[in-house]
Amino acid sequence: MDAVLSIDTLAAGLRLALPVALAALGALLCERSGVLNLGLEGLMLCGALAGYLVTDSTGSPWVGLFAGLVIGGLCGALLGGAVVYLAANQVVAGLAFSLIAVSATTYVYEGSYDIGQSPPRIERISMPPLVILTLVVLGIVVVLLRSTLSGLVLTATGESPVAVDALGYSVQRTRFFTTIGGSALAGLGGAVLVCGPLGLFIQNVTAGRGWVALALVVFAGWKPVPCVVGAFLFGVCDAAQLRIQGTDTGVPYEVFLALPYVVTLVAMVVRGRRSRTPATLGVAFHRSTA
Amino acid sequence: MSAVTVDPGTSGAGGSGVEVAAGGVDRRRLVSTIGVPAGAVLASLLVGAVLIALEGSNPLAVYAEVFRGVFVENRGLRNTAIGATPLVLMGCGLAIAYRSSLYTIGAEGQYVIGAVAATAWATAGGVRDLPSPLLIVGCLVIAAIAGSAWSCISAALNTRFGTNIVISSLLLTYVGIAIMQWAIRVGIRDPESFIPASRMIGDAALPIVPGLNTHLGFVIALIVVPVLSVVMSRTRFGYRADVLGHNPNALGANEVRESRVMFGVLGLVGALAGIAGYIQVAGVTQRINAEFSVGYGYTAILVALLGRMNLVGVLLAGLGLSGLTIGLDVAERTYDLPSSLTGLLQALIIIFVVLADAIAGRIELRRP
Repeated sequence: MDAVLSIDTLAAGLRLALPVALAALGALLCERSGVLNLGLEGLMLCGALAGYLVTDSTGSPWVGLFAGLVIGGLCGALLGGAVVYLAANQVVAGLAFSLIAVSATTYVYEGSYDIGQSPPRIERISMPPLVILTLVVLGIVVVLLRSTLSGLVLTATGESPVAVDALGYSVQRTRFFTTIGGSALAGLGGAVLVCGPLGLFIQNVTAGRGWVALALVVFAGWKPVPCVVGAFLFGVCDAAQLRIQGTDTGVPYEVFLALPYVVTLVAMVVRGRRSRTPATLGVAFHRSTA
Repeated sequence: MSAVTVDPGTSGAGGSGVEVAAGGVDRRRLVSTIGVPAGAVLASLLVGAVLIALEGSNPLAVYAEVFRGVFVENRGLRNTAIGATPLVLMGCGLAIAYRSSLYTIGAEGQYVIGAVAATAWATAGGVRDLPSPLLIVGCLVIAAIAGSAWSCISAALNTRFGTNIVISSLLLTYVGIAIMQWAIRVGIRDPESFIPASRMIGDAALPIVPGLNTHLGFVIALIVVPVLSVVMSRTRFGYRADVLGHNPNALGANEVRESRVMFGVLGLVGALAGIAGYIQVAGVTQRINAEFSVGYGYTAILVALLGRMNLVGVLLAGLGLSGLTIGLDVAERTYDLPSSLTGLLQALIIIFVVLADAIAGRIELRRP
């Protein structure tokens, strides 16, 4: 058990926490503006694949990270267009996108490498720059939400779109660009997973991390800093789980396999009760129905 | 209802396609019920044709091979029916849940839990020797209860703590799969197997139906569709489930507890998923091994959406998607196409359904 709860585990936990933290920050932005982005898992997956393919072809994982960000943003524009301008059901559209992403990324991935040939491992970025990157993103999100007019409009759009509309700001445009930005962060998170801790892509590599990120936003009460703390908690459980599989503890290792998800669920339940949900989360805005 | 539960009454501005099965047939409604899914399937086959052409094959020849794989090839129809069975069973539950605006996506977990519970009971010492019909009925009941209980965790968390059902049901799926992995490695492992796998299901296996040539599970799915249709259109439960999706406040005003309807609907989803899991073991795989969870629970979401949350629609969508999978499987082997093409085509169908729905809703909104 000692080996499991060591500095190593904490470090590994931090590594695994970064992608989830970035995606959770992206989801938080979307939700603060009133858009429930259930496409998060799919966005991470697309970002992960883009990050992998671009890193493999350019040799630079930083370019890969950028590709993840861009692809996330592009997919976000698609999703945002559907849920904001076409007022598609946010739950259905997001869910559909996450389902699609699994097949689409598998298709592209299998098309990029011959079957049977083992895909190359890509160059990885060490942890310190990725931690700094995540902290910078966190800083930007905090400042944006707390101290800028745009941030205020964004939050107001989630709380009272009618008021925002009356003041002459466009609810639709705010939500659309927030969805793009939030989705870009989710894509970046996926790319960080592949270019950071893993160094390779496999089918459905994100394994539910997008859903975990969504749960963390609830756990964090829609506040950025607790979001990142929650992600760290998940990361440590995830790392402990990977470590325990190799050791003999008497407890079946499947318990630890389920642990990150159980912890996330419990965290969401415990904290979710007291948290303050954006008032119009998941509700499309249209002047005639407002 | 707190936390991120989406307010069902106002979401989607009518673009979600969640419609109560009304008595009269409106022509416009007919277009959106049949036109949208048919158009979506056609559009994705067209895009699929482009992709196939890019892979260097003739799309027409590939689609002809798909058709041949289903309708001409020996066992094509039979495999289609067998593949559709879990999709239809789970799709029915999900369709009802989505009509109630309860967006559960955890059917895969309930499917696995149902299969494990039924297999555990049917392979236990003492039980194993019971007569076959008793075993089958017992398994169906146990699978339904287990799946239902698993699904109701989401309902309980939502009622008690306002936890989002979408997220909790999905997180529970990962827990369910971990339970399955433990069960086949330790709990109900076949001592004679080298790799983790449960014992053979033995006498609890489903018989082949003469004439149809499929296992009994397909017949069960065929019976479930009309039974649930009647339940939804003729009973208090069905009415309340639909009302929950449209105006939950109306339930409260009539002193019907929202949470009770929620437990009913999510319990039903879980029961059907659990039964689907048992049927898959007893009709197809004969035992549970590490490859048991192949994602029928997720494809069933697509089936529910494509079937327009209508139970007959679900049956057609389930058969259609299963046929597409079987046929493409044959065509992929003949023409050496990537195996992920099936998933991609399904994904395209769902994109087009969601988009067409949204656009239809937008047009509706413009109309004075």
